[in-house]
Amino acid sequence: MGCPIFTAVVLTALVLLMPFTAKAQSCPSRSDWPTEEWPDRIQETATRKAAEIQALEDYAFTRIGKDEERLGVRTDGVVIIHNGAIVYERYVAPYGPEKRHIAWSVTKSVTSALTGLAVGRGAVSLDDSICDHLEIPKPESCQVKLGHLLVFSSGFDWTELYEDKSNQTSSVLAMLYGEGRRDMARFVAEHRLRDTPGTTFMYSTGESLLLASAVQEGVQKTFQKGDTFPWEWLFDPIGMKTAVLEKDAKGHFKGGSHLFATPRDFARFGWLYLNDGCWAGQRLLPEGWVADSTTVSEPFRTASLDAGSEPQGRKWWLNRPVPEQGLPTRPWPDVPADAYAARGHWGQSVTVIPSLDVVVVRVADDREEGAFELNRFLSLALAIVEAP
Amino acid sequence: MKTWMTAGALGACLLVAACADPDAEQRTYANSDLELSPSYRAAEVCSCIFVMGQDEDFCNRWTVANPNVSTFRVDHEKKTVESSAFMMWGARAKFVDEKTGCVFED
Repeated sequence: MGCPIFTAVVLTALVLLMPFTAKAQSCPSRSDWPTEEWPDRIQETATRKAAEIQALEDYAFTRIGKDEERLGVRTDGVVIIHNGAIVYERYVAPYGPEKRHIAWSVTKSVTSALTGLAVGRGAVSLDDSICDHLEIPKPESCQVKLGHLLVFSSGFDWTELYEDKSNQTSSVLAMLYGEGRRDMARFVAEHRLRDTPGTTFMYSTGESLLLASAVQEGVQKTFQKGDTFPWEWLFDPIGMKTAVLEKDAKGHFKGGSHLFATPRDFARFGWLYLNDGCWAGQRLLPEGWVADSTTVSEPFRTASLDAGSEPQGRKWWLNRPVPEQGLPTRPWPDVPADAYAARGHWGQSVTVIPSLDVVVVRVADDREEGAFELNRFLSLALAIVEAP
Repeated sequence: MKTWMTAGALGACLLVAACADPDAEQRTYANSDLELSPSYRAAEVCSCIFVMGQDEDFCNRWTVANPNVSTFRVDHEKKTVESSAFMMWGARAKFVDEKTGCVFED
């Protein structure tokens, strides 16, 4: 039977250690992690998949019209990762593997990750009001919580328009280049609340910037690392050495739009999510964060949507039907249902497909609305990694 | 010459006001295209050159906007980009470092 006291001590120790053991076991086990370099299987794939590569390039890399007209599909670079190695990579000059590209709204998904890192370390909570972290002169805005900002549900009266629409009604242009540019977070929070926070869904660069600013201040208050934590907690551990995250004149990260990195580094960010927020066996993002981020958000399922809205999680675009919102089919029907993407203006995307162990990065300069089809591009890209 | 340019700028302002979205429900912002254009140009040309590592010619084409009313000047030594429209509206962005990229100076 043994000593009962010894048994009790061992059982207590096992119970106490269980959470840590469970977390360690939850990280995927891989032999190689691309912190320094991506393993290279480009040549092998080029030999085996010549026809599929040609089809992808015919679509993605064929330019039309004069350069200054910027018509059609204008891909600047593509990187495809499969089973932990680069299997395809191509750039259009003057871009190349060493050149950073602007991410535009891919930055929003990175802000989502930074929020997860700050939540995991206790610097902020999704239940925190923005007024817990930022000086907001409008008391009404204190109803907005970080959790609302994470799922585009603040209710601010915001107009998400870009160039060539109506420059005077675009909240984004006013924030980045107009009256809001000196203190962007304050500019966003001074908008009136059109809806009760949590009851609406509206894609917004302003909300993402406001979230990044609140998280930055929360991390500063708790760890005195407001300016360095994106590198210390995210970019450096996963080897995103080229990451540049710009700030406004107030010193807050432009977390909705202005991240720059090479496509290989954007692929590292995708690889972190494909591996459930783990890197080299270590858990970076809190357990469950990736799953929650890639589940259709409550506001998206229940709020009234603008025409053309596509399913969203926590600042990730999802390949899920949302029948209750009149979206019975997946937005990318030729791509596995578990795919999700960080997407940005002018055609930027980092697409993660866990079931195929694939990350596809595309950087681009698509100025013609509707010219590029992500579903078609991804289905051609995935033909390269399919078994012969 | 300067009088002509000022008149042109005022004319452009009136045109912008006349073409503004009449939808009273939608919020409009004080910034005119004459303010937005040089500010957009200064920020994005600065990032294009000093963060993305591209040359001036490429960055000029990459930041062409509608209306395209601003020009820019790059100081490679100070790592700044100044942009202006009709010599009356302007903005300046400066490259800070390899993590922060470019920020507005004004």
